Amino acid sequence: MSLSILAVDDSRTIRDMLSLALTQAGFSPNLAEDGVHGLEVLSGMHPDAIITDINMPRMDGFGFIEAVRGQAAHRATPILVLTTESAPELKARARAAGATGWIVKPFDPEKLVRALHMVAGPGAAR
Amino acid sequence: MTARLSLPARLDLPAAAPLAQELLSLRGSPVTLCGDEVSLLGTPCLQVLVSARRSWDADGFSLTLTDPSPALTEQLAVLGFTPADLESTPTEH
Amino acid sequence: MTTPDPMAEIRASFFIECEELLEALQDGLTQLDSGEADDETINVCFRAVHSMKGGAGAFGLEDLVRFAHRYETVMDEVRAGRLIPDHQAVLLFMRSADVLSDIVRYSRDGQPIDTGAVEPTLRELEGLVGGPPEELEEEVTDFQPLTLDLSSGDTSCDTSFVVAFRPEPELFRSGNEPLHLLRALGELGDVSTEPDVSKIPLLDELDPESACLSWQITLDSNRSVADIEEVFEFVEGLCNLEIEVQTGPSDAGSVGLPSVPGLPDLIPDLDGGDAPEQTPFPEMDTPRPRLTLTDPETGQTASCVATDPLSQAQPPRSSDAPVQSAAAPKKTTVRVDLERIERLVNLVGELVINQAMLSQSVARAGLPSTSAVVQGLEEFMQLTRDIQDGVMMIRAQPVKSLFQRMARIVRESSAAVEKSVRFATDGEATEVDKTVIERLADPLTHMIRNAVDHGVEDSERRLAAGKPAEGCITLSAAHRSGRVVIEVTDDGGGIDRDRVKAIAIERGLIDPDVALSDSEIDDLLFLPGFSTAGQVSNLSGRGVGMDVVRKAIADLGGRVSISSTPGEGTCFSISLPLTLAVLDGMVVNAAGEALVMPISAIAETMAYREEDVRPLGPETQVLHIRDSFVPLLDLGVELGFRPPKPSYEGSVVLLIASENETRGALIVDTIHEQRQVVIKGLQESYGHVPGIAAATILGDGQVALILDPVDMMANAVGRTRPAVSELQAAG
Repeated sequence: MSLSILAVDDSRTIRDMLSLALTQAGFSPNLAEDGVHGLEVLSGMHPDAIITDINMPRMDGFGFIEAVRGQAAHRATPILVLTTESAPELKARARAAGATGWIVKPFDPEKLVRALHMVAGPGAAR
Repeated sequence: MTARLSLPARLDLPAAAPLAQELLSLRGSPVTLCGDEVSLLGTPCLQVLVSARRSWDADGFSLTLTDPSPALTEQLAVLGFTPADLESTPTEH
Repeated sequence: MTTPDPMAEIRASFFIECEELLEALQDGLTQLDSGEADDETINVCFRAVHSMKGGAGAFGLEDLVRFAHRYETVMDEVRAGRLIPDHQAVLLFMRSADVLSDIVRYSRDGQPIDTGAVEPTLRELEGLVGGPPEELEEEVTDFQPLTLDLSSGDTSCDTSFVVAFRPEPELFRSGNEPLHLLRALGELGDVSTEPDVSKIPLLDELDPESACLSWQITLDSNRSVADIEEVFEFVEGLCNLEIEVQTGPSDAGSVGLPSVPGLPDLIPDLDGGDAPEQTPFPEMDTPRPRLTLTDPETGQTASCVATDPLSQAQPPRSSDAPVQSAAAPKKTTVRVDLERIERLVNLVGELVINQAMLSQSVARAGLPSTSAVVQGLEEFMQLTRDIQDGVMMIRAQPVKSLFQRMARIVRESSAAVEKSVRFATDGEATEVDKTVIERLADPLTHMIRNAVDHGVEDSERRLAAGKPAEGCITLSAAHRSGRVVIEVTDDGGGIDRDRVKAIAIERGLIDPDVALSDSEIDDLLFLPGFSTAGQVSNLSGRGVGMDVVRKAIADLGGRVSISSTPGEGTCFSISLPLTLAVLDGMVVNAAGEALVMPISAIAETMAYREEDVRPLGPETQVLHIRDSFVPLLDLGVELGFRPPKPSYEGSVVLLIASENETRGALIVDTIHEQRQVVIKGLQESYGHVPGIAAATILGDGQVALILDPVDMMANAVGRTRPAVSELQAAG
């Protein structure tokens, strides 16, 4: 069994790249286009980790994280924020919103996988 | 009569409080923990299990862990523990 | 088949996404300009540019990243309410979008960026907010952890680290878990992990979500302190972390043995000598100093972890509410390789043909119309038709992207001739075959330029005529009786027919004393060689005349017509088939050959009547119809199937309404039926054959040529009377 990941980003290109990187690393990604869609997809799964963008239509990343954290089952689900900015305030803000960690876009697939392992472990089976 | 408690598959943060509750209700009797389903052991639950071990130590009842899943054993090791660290064997009684 | 490179595919799809984002950007800017914008509009614009930047970064498209970043920065000011854009600013945003769009295309095609417009536009943009932003480089410089590469090149020699790790409760709440961190740490080298359980109380005193377990890990690794710190990056400020570097290989027995102290000796007994300065953890609830550890031997700071968890990390929430009440309903789309669609279209074509053949066999079998086979076949035909329609719709796209490109043409061309022109669109959602849309771009561009250049008057003349100073060009699309009608309308002065006629006479295109109706004069614009280049500019007069436009439209199976009212404006109307793949045709027979005439070209059919025909030349004749004469042609002769017949009595005449309204009459032997045929291109195999547009396969499996009547008229020999020699030979 591999890690199941929910990845939320409004950019198709980034979704494609996440999907590729995650699949190649042996994870099973589920994709969503914005916060609202992310919550819909989340209702049907229990991901080992969530990756989310910040700037998104309908519901942005902060709103999404807040909503996820509001669900008892996902109080501690690891959430990585994708951000183009690496400014410390943004990280602080992401963490204040309840994020577990962050990845700077454009992301290096290797780093992404490492970050996922850091927050979600190697998956149920090694 | 030895009580039996099946540990849930995901021993993550949300699982810690319910686990502590259940163990508390079993205090004062020998208990067997069954770990065959555990796929994830997080630190908060580990703390509960260690605390239980201490409590059973103090009460002088036995606390045993049976069938630890490979994941459980492996994750315990990463955290610096062995399954035996979660067990209490009363010397008297 | 090799697997396509997934990154190349994503790259290709990135550029498609860019087109969509540019479209969204354009929409948003148009709304901003028209005052229909709401709070979300600028967010949409910002996100569009932001997403392009994000994707571009992934592919190392630095020019695109750079422009998008600086553009986005200025837009962010609008978002934050610090900059209220006026009309001029929005126009600048639009021009910036044009530049961005150019950079996207250059990047896509791997061409060098034409920097001519880039810098001035950026400077203008940044003029809005008073100067350039802090350079992008600053952003790229991700935080550099204190790199203390102790292993510098000497990988054989491991360094021994002692890591003391004590989580705070916030660490769990953030979703972090020591298990994963310890595992990641273990991957850096040989670890020995010693938990400290001394702070774990009995069950009834335990807060299950508190943090009372801590660890001391001895790590032998050739990695640097930075590598170790990277493991704990996400929990910085959520734990107490000390990393101590021990020079020289550790010698103690604790290394590499994941032994655990038995619980009876729970108080950590970490003598071993290799863990100096072991700080016993103070009481849990007292505030602890955050530690900066200095390697006692080197004096180098190995770790610097001193942040308050969370407390200072409470900036105001993003200004806009996170939950936007549902925006426009989003369409879900699937991307499909165009080739697959082509294959499907072809297959459906085959299906249609096959079904027609089946119908004919059934008809020949003479089954009663009440029979199950006949009735089933009817349903089958209906289904086939539906499938065909459905498949054709796959290729259909809204004309919106095309219209948006025209918005830019209006902007650029009106700026070039210093006219003030507004651009309006209607029916952007109208769907047309993708190929049609692509091939419309050039002719439309020319028509729009033409409208700006020749249609709309300059402000002075407009004001003098009592019109608003700003001219207006409207581009509209609509479905009308199975065709798409696209119109370019200007509110200019209308066609100056006297001038047009004078020019035509001057160029020798028409006879000076020929009497022409208004629409005939308007049609002169489409004549090859008619160019109003003497009039203005290098704008519309780029060596392309309206004749080329007409030809391009005709190639798409369309027609273009003009209507113009002096003082009020001109409308160019393009009528196009919905798709290029099927055609409504009339199956006719000439000299024993089945041929298909596009229905759109046929104005009328009639029986051949000797008394309507007048001889013209020795071998040619004309048909007299309703007070006018049209050339009479024999289809069989024109295609070289036979010589002219002595008599055409009993034949059928097709009256052809060709593009420029000049008519011809084609004699055919019989008319079979009217039906939809699937077009099979011939050009690839045979090149252009005069008078022939394509081929198709009829229900009986017979191949039939599809005629191109315009082309045929242009190349007609026109013989409908046998030469004397032929008569003699025949007689």
